[in-house]
Amino acid sequence: MRPIGTSLTNNRGTSPVTIVAGLALLAALLLFPQLVKSPYALHIMILLFLSTIMGESWNILGGYTGQYSVGHAAYFGVGAYTTMVLMQNHQVAPWYGVWAGVALVVVVAVAIGSICFRLRGPYFVLASIAVAEVMRLSAMNLKDLTNGAEGILAVEIPAFTLGGTVITDFLSKVPFYYIGLALAILTIVVTWLVQHSKLGYCFQAIREDQDAAHSLGIHLSLYKNVALIISAIFTALAGSFYAIYVGFIDPTTVLALDLSVQIVLICIIGGIGTIWGPVIGALVLVPLSEALRSNLITQMLIKSGLVSGESAIGIFLKEHLSHAHALIYGILVVIVILFMPDGVLGFAKKLLAKRNRRTA
Amino acid sequence: MAILEIKHVSKFFGGLAANSDVSFDVEQGMIMGLIGPNGAGKTTLFNCITGYYPPSRGEVLFKGQRMNGLEPDRVCKLGMARTWQKVRPLAKLSVLDNVVVGALCRTNSVKVARDLAHEQLKVVGLDHKSAFLAGGLPIGERKKLEVARVLATKPELLLLDEVMGGLNPAESEEIIQLILDIKKTGVTQIVIEHDMKAIMRLSDRIVVLNSGEKLAEGGPQEIVSNPEVIEAYLGSEH
Amino acid sequence: MLVFLQSLMSGVLIGGVYALIGIGLTIIFGVMRVINFAHGDILMIGMYLTFILFSVLGIDPFVSIAISIPLMFFFGGLLQRVFINRVLGALPQNQILLTIGLGLIMSNTIMLIFTSDYKILTTSYSSSSVSLAGVSVSLPLAISFVITAAITALLYWFLIKTDTGQAIRATAQDREAAQLMGINVKRMSIIAFGIGSALAGTAGALISPTYYIFPQVGSTFTLKAFVITVLGGMGSIVGATLGGIIIGVAESMGAVYISSGWKDVVVYVLFLLVLLFKPAGLMGKSRM
Repeated sequence: MRPIGTSLTNNRGTSPVTIVAGLALLAALLLFPQLVKSPYALHIMILLFLSTIMGESWNILGGYTGQYSVGHAAYFGVGAYTTMVLMQNHQVAPWYGVWAGVALVVVVAVAIGSICFRLRGPYFVLASIAVAEVMRLSAMNLKDLTNGAEGILAVEIPAFTLGGTVITDFLSKVPFYYIGLALAILTIVVTWLVQHSKLGYCFQAIREDQDAAHSLGIHLSLYKNVALIISAIFTALAGSFYAIYVGFIDPTTVLALDLSVQIVLICIIGGIGTIWGPVIGALVLVPLSEALRSNLITQMLIKSGLVSGESAIGIFLKEHLSHAHALIYGILVVIVILFMPDGVLGFAKKLLAKRNRRTA
Repeated sequence: MAILEIKHVSKFFGGLAANSDVSFDVEQGMIMGLIGPNGAGKTTLFNCITGYYPPSRGEVLFKGQRMNGLEPDRVCKLGMARTWQKVRPLAKLSVLDNVVVGALCRTNSVKVARDLAHEQLKVVGLDHKSAFLAGGLPIGERKKLEVARVLATKPELLLLDEVMGGLNPAESEEIIQLILDIKKTGVTQIVIEHDMKAIMRLSDRIVVLNSGEKLAEGGPQEIVSNPEVIEAYLGSEH
Repeated sequence: MLVFLQSLMSGVLIGGVYALIGIGLTIIFGVMRVINFAHGDILMIGMYLTFILFSVLGIDPFVSIAISIPLMFFFGGLLQRVFINRVLGALPQNQILLTIGLGLIMSNTIMLIFTSDYKILTTSYSSSSVSLAGVSVSLPLAISFVITAAITALLYWFLIKTDTGQAIRATAQDREAAQLMGINVKRMSIIAFGIGSALAGTAGALISPTYYIFPQVGSTFTLKAFVITVLGGMGSIVGATLGGIIIGVAESMGAVYISSGWKDVVVYVLFLLVLLFKPAGLMGKSRM
């Protein structure tokens, strides 16, 4: 029995049950597209992977290091635009363009960090928002580079060949599924590595008490920048992936404050500073978002008889609920901050601790 | 050999002189007591020495090396470490992880750091609470944790800022024993304290600050019988 | 030269309205240390309120301020009581996130009700101009400035001469000490948020004859409000007043001499410069 108030990150090693379950899950995920042919189902999974990547990336900087950037769309946009512009205007295949995006985002991240890391707490948040807005407005205005508000539409993705054989022509969702899965697993593994390394300890020390960490030999700007760079790289990868998958980007989708808020939300719903928090956040947000968009919730309410399809409320819901996902995000943020500031995971831990106390 | 030399250090905040022309040396291996009424500038001096902010005037030499303007992390790596007047645990981390952070100052391996951390926790008597969240500890244990954490950075000079503040007599006694044990390992210490009995027991030499200036310096008996000191500081207690 | 004077004058006039927004935000920060990211959305609600009063009841926007002020005050007080009050002790990051969430709820609820269509409030004098010292300026803008000046004067009087006003200033200066002196700091927080919201809503009413009205209009104003308050010094009303005018002029000049697409970038860059080099702002910290 664990006494109350003990940390649950005891590093005592994973039990065999967890390993077997993990492998089974991995196998299921790998086999999924072979068994389930519905493009819509694949689309949902891809959205889940995308959200996981975005959430885990933010988590490194925000959750572990305590630097709450509400301007991460800046890095997403850099990845998206670099890959897209190179592909559209310079015929650079996206699997090369992605690396240009990564290289560029490292430069951008260091530049942004040099501005924002001089600030603390809420001022850091504000600066991160301002910087992202500057980037969005620049993308709007630099029409020669980015096509401005009209955005960029991908004409065609070249087929991916290895030694003469076509591996995929990107016409179905399946290759995107596997790329998304690979990226999501990669980001989770990187988070795990960070948490169990010196980086993780230093990051968390900075989050808990920056001055104390400083006095214990931790070089603040070095570690903050490392956290930012790791975070920015994976966010840019998500942006590049999104651009190629969806095939269309504009400043309002890939550089907007809405997106930055969404990224933060994925993390805080699940539980910041934990490996699985963003995954849980994605598992909550993506189905909710889709259910709203596809009118699933309205249909369920009508079918269950709670709301009549002909009534004023029914008609209103039918027409408008699908646009309401930002509203739901807002409500979720408020609920989480007020009642579950440590996210679903933190909430669950508290419940478990209470139950342990009672059975003790 | 003087491990720390404070030469004419002054620190101004706007028009206020928090430290004014303070000079003294600390010999290696000794325990130096630093006393004075509240607001005398003791913590300010610690902050200047450890790089939290630079002195406005004067020099701080550690092992002969000039420390002015060095960042706190550099200062720690060079072998000087401090605890805080208001305890600063890394609240959401476990007791063990707190000390691991300190140990990571000297090693890049988490495994090695954890072993070092366990050792330090055993020294202060907190190893049985390794898995507890630091934020949940009572004040006495938080102070011990802070000492364990800072010892893990393997300092040659340790600055303790009112480490007995807010403790009951039993807890204070434990800290006193701890400080004496640390002395045996060869680490030099500067101790800020208000508890005069403790200062008398611990200190080889004492420096008295008052209103930012050094009022007196000498052995414990000298200080206790110095009329100026008695008037400025001890007078209010006796 | 005339262009310069014109853009300077317009900048000062709109700067007055910006000052109102900034003052509201700075009062909220001064009293509660909360960074209210929903401030622009509260302004947006003020705009829609004015629009409804005008299009349904035919009340002139400048006249309807008499109705909007108490309503927005009440709304703000309610927000504080129900939501903000619960996070006064939490991490500043969480406070910001909460207000961001509230802002999202506000803007999206309005969008559900009114759709994203741009609304325009045209009065008989919306495009009239008046001549001030030989320079031609927009009449609604000139009226706004006069009203803003009156409200600011009223606010100063309230804060300096009345008991409640002084209690608010005491709470802003030192919450604990104020509490020990018997001031109901919780009530002061509610009033402060109410005042801040009323000021934001009023600013919304004042600009409604000359700005497009749409649900997302809040976010630009929120960021502008922050630039103004940081520039002037968080917690300083005089600072917010000065900051508002400076930003108004910078924006006006930027639109004329650079381009309208980049004028917001000018404001944000100014913001970042201030944060980096003079984070305490022109007036320094917290002296309301």
